[in-house]
Amino acid sequence: MEGPVIRIENVHKHFGRVHALQGISLNVDKGEVVVIIGPSGSGKSTLLRCINRLEEYNSGRIVVDGIPLDSTQNINAVRQEVGIVFQSFNLFSHLTAMENLTLAQRIVRKRPREESQKIALDLFIKVGIPDKADSYPLQLSGGQQQRVAIARALAMNPKIMLFDEPTSALDPEMIAEVLNVMLVLAREGMTMVVISHEMGFARAAANRVVFIDEGQVVEESTPEDMFASSSNERTKLFLSKVLQI
Amino acid sequence: MDKQPKPGSRGSKLVTIPTFGRAKHIDPWWGLVALVVASIAVLVTVRPDPFRNILLFVRDGVTVTIFITVTAFVAILVVGLLGALGRLSRNRIIHTVSTLYVELIRGIPLLVQLIWWYFAFPVVVQHVGEWLNVSALVNYRANAISTAIVGLVFCYGAYMTEIYRAGIQSIPKGQMEAARSLGMTYAQAMRHIILPQAIRVVLPPVGNEFIALLKDSSLVSVVAVADLTRRGREFMSTHFNPIEVWTMVALIYLVMTLFSGRLVAWMEKRYHPET
Repeated sequence: MEGPVIRIENVHKHFGRVHALQGISLNVDKGEVVVIIGPSGSGKSTLLRCINRLEEYNSGRIVVDGIPLDSTQNINAVRQEVGIVFQSFNLFSHLTAMENLTLAQRIVRKRPREESQKIALDLFIKVGIPDKADSYPLQLSGGQQQRVAIARALAMNPKIMLFDEPTSALDPEMIAEVLNVMLVLAREGMTMVVISHEMGFARAAANRVVFIDEGQVVEESTPEDMFASSSNERTKLFLSKVLQI
Repeated sequence: MDKQPKPGSRGSKLVTIPTFGRAKHIDPWWGLVALVVASIAVLVTVRPDPFRNILLFVRDGVTVTIFITVTAFVAILVVGLLGALGRLSRNRIIHTVSTLYVELIRGIPLLVQLIWWYFAFPVVVQHVGEWLNVSALVNYRANAISTAIVGLVFCYGAYMTEIYRAGIQSIPKGQMEAARSLGMTYAQAMRHIILPQAIRVVLPPVGNEFIALLKDSSLVSVVAVADLTRRGREFMSTHFNPIEVWTMVALIYLVMTLFSGRLVAWMEKRYHPET
């Protein structure tokens, strides 16, 4: 079954009176890296959270890897295929980095302890912190915590990775170490949807940049076209604010 | 333990985790427990009549008080957890039932509740038995101790519900989201992620409840339970020495509550070291 691995069709979402998503549609192909940009409050985060149903939507349709997000059973199935990395890491603070990686493997994927630990160790090496397995989250820097969070999501062997402003809460010198891990993932062919205003990352990794404003897709194109020669006024206005930094 | 300071090594660490001086120093408040125990010992030795007699007389009452408190408390921990999960449930009916439970129970004095369970509840059961024609129910008689425990559990369960709820809600929402996004069910996320963190938060107020329950268990003396308080009253009614009896009873309660207080403090320390 070919076709887009994420299909978002005409999704609407209301928070009380706020119309956060106003009929948004977006497709993501297998192996594609899509970077979503847009002003704060534009609905980009809400959209991302809808993909694994951390947020409910009011109407429209989302199909992930052929599974429509409509029943509890399907939602759990989709969540096992989709990893998400949060702005604030959300590591389990009462567990060590190792336990953060192994817990869900054991109770959701039903892997034996040894196997899950071996997978975790390989991932710690991959994200560049092989010596931090026994640390608690609070003993790690922000950049290290976020890399543990990425490893935790990867331990479930997701087909799709979602990133919700993964570097926004980080000190500048730690942003690169997280982006590098993401870049490696992108090169390996992981399907990724990334909310980020790191233009360098978008240029290096994204197949497509999507500009969202007021709950709608305003424009989508390659990073080169978007950053260099967008003809859309709203895009240009937004980019001028972001890029001048 | 090496006591050598390690200059420089601290500053380079990103975060230093404050740990409590463990095991090394003994909690000085144990001294207060010892003091109260000692004063009982002194009274018993210096004036065995009446103090030793009182102590021997109320001894089984102490056992009853401890039994009731501990049994009720275990049940209260369970009821509180169920109540809190109910209060947080998105199911309307479950949410309403548990909220109603908390609001109603908290609005009625404990003493009235205990009296209701002992005097009114059996009559209700008997009436229902007559109505349904079930002889086992018609012949139902209240067992004082179990009725008292039920009364305490019902009442304290409501307070415990609110403590647990506050504890669970104090855990950042992102923890549940992260757990769910890894494919854990709600129950798995609660058990492995939320509750272990919430326990640390609720330990002090839960310990408080235990001590409050220990004291409030004296109310069961009015519903035919021969606890410490009731045994004290029985002794006084035959010997007419209120000062000695009630001082002794007060001191015994004090030993139990102060001891529990230290136990709670010790558990708090144990639960907190590494994060």
